Amino acid sequence: MENVIELTNVQKSFKGFQLKDFSLTVKKGFVTGFIGGNGAGKSTTIKMMMNLLQPDSGSVSLFGLNYKEHEKAIKQRIGFVMDDNVFYEELSLKEMKKIIKPAYTNWDDNLFEQYIEKFELPLNKKIKTFSKGMMMKASLTVAISHHAELIIMDEPTSGLDPSFRRELLDLLHHVMQDEEKTIFFSTHITTDLERIADYITFLHNGKHIFTKEFSQIEEEYAIVKGEIDLLDRDIEREFISIRKSNHGFEALTANKKRTENMLGNMALIEKPSLEDIMFYTKKGEEQYV
Amino acid sequence: MFNLIQKDILLLKYIFLILLPILIGYLLLDNSSILMGFLASIILIQAAFAIDEKPSINILLNSLPYTRKEIVSSKYIGSVIYIFIIFFAILIMNLVMHGIITPWEELFITFLLVIGFTSFMLPFLYRFKSQYLLIASLGIFVTYLVVIGLFIHNLNDRIRELVHTLLTIQDYQIYLLLVSLGMILYVGSWFLSVRIYRNKVF
Repeated sequence: MENVIELTNVQKSFKGFQLKDFSLTVKKGFVTGFIGGNGAGKSTTIKMMMNLLQPDSGSVSLFGLNYKEHEKAIKQRIGFVMDDNVFYEELSLKEMKKIIKPAYTNWDDNLFEQYIEKFELPLNKKIKTFSKGMMMKASLTVAISHHAELIIMDEPTSGLDPSFRRELLDLLHHVMQDEEKTIFFSTHITTDLERIADYITFLHNGKHIFTKEFSQIEEEYAIVKGEIDLLDRDIEREFISIRKSNHGFEALTANKKRTENMLGNMALIEKPSLEDIMFYTKKGEEQYV
Repeated sequence: MFNLIQKDILLLKYIFLILLPILIGYLLLDNSSILMGFLASIILIQAAFAIDEKPSINILLNSLPYTRKEIVSSKYIGSVIYIFIIFFAILIMNLVMHGIITPWEELFITFLLVIGFTSFMLPFLYRFKSQYLLIASLGIFVTYLVVIGLFIHNLNDRIRELVHTLLTIQDYQIYLLLVSLGMILYVGSWFLSVRIYRNKVF
């Protein structure tokens, strides 16, 4: 399978934060969800993909091209949707289009108008009067209108109301009907991903924990619940981390089959949510550090 | 890259519209075109920089298919264009209001002054923020006053004399030399700004 994004042994350090020997690939034709807590390094990673930041060492390549020689060719093929407003506030969407359109060789006016209509966006109102949802729609319209092959989104659903979030996810689903397209998006709201993502990339503390197919995660990970006296040293070692209470324990395993064999029907084994995986991984790290 | 300059002009049109009546008013009072041309050009160049100063706008520009070099270069090329727009306005207004053709020496001196000032201003702006420019300008002004007060009491007169001398020079080689120096300074500043901007983090 072809990779659209490849980060290889990337290092980047700031004050108090570090991405260390970080490698990541994003597959063409799929939706990859990018999860991790605050300060995990999601934005840093996305900025490196966009060449807004350069890594201290290691390589970043998109569509098999590097930024050093092919910056413009790469950016022609990417649509970028940000959490914040990145447009000129004093301009209207019509004026904004006038600025952005000449930058792209593949700009499609018909498509632009189609989405403006679909989203009911005002063309002549100043952008600063736009709500968060409208802003997101405008941003997405621009990304779609130049036929971007890769759409990178940084927290697109944060601050949106549930019904619009759903609308957005449907739209992304629609975009993905074209098999040439790839979507990479970071989010806090993991339930969004359950609806749309094919792959999940999980980042924690600047470390790439995993990139897995959604179905694979369900096969491998499980939440285990049982009585406290079930736990001994061997069993505890099976878990990424454990939460104990008076009523019993709840833990996350990354090896569902083996855990099932060990515990049999003495414990309850459930499907984990992404949130569970994030929570227990974080807890596990705090315990063993 | 010319798209970027076009974009700046679109965004600056309101400032043009505000600047124009001020320019007219000033020239009506029959003041020096040099000072007015200089100030108007610097205001435009600085405004063109300020509209793109927000981090979010930098993210926008850098996510569009432009290189950082082009983004910086558009400001340098744009600046020269603004100077000529201002000159054009001054020429027209002097002709209409006073029926005189602005002597080219005046425009020449203005050009050199703006180019010289911009060569220092832009790298400074790329390195620091606009708000520090005010502080730096105040610093220079205070230094200027101190120099006048303590060391060279007739600095103002000397400058006036220098300008006058420049205006009456008949030797074209000196003009050529000055233009070359100005250009070298401007190009050097351009390279410096590209370097500074390349390492910026948004």
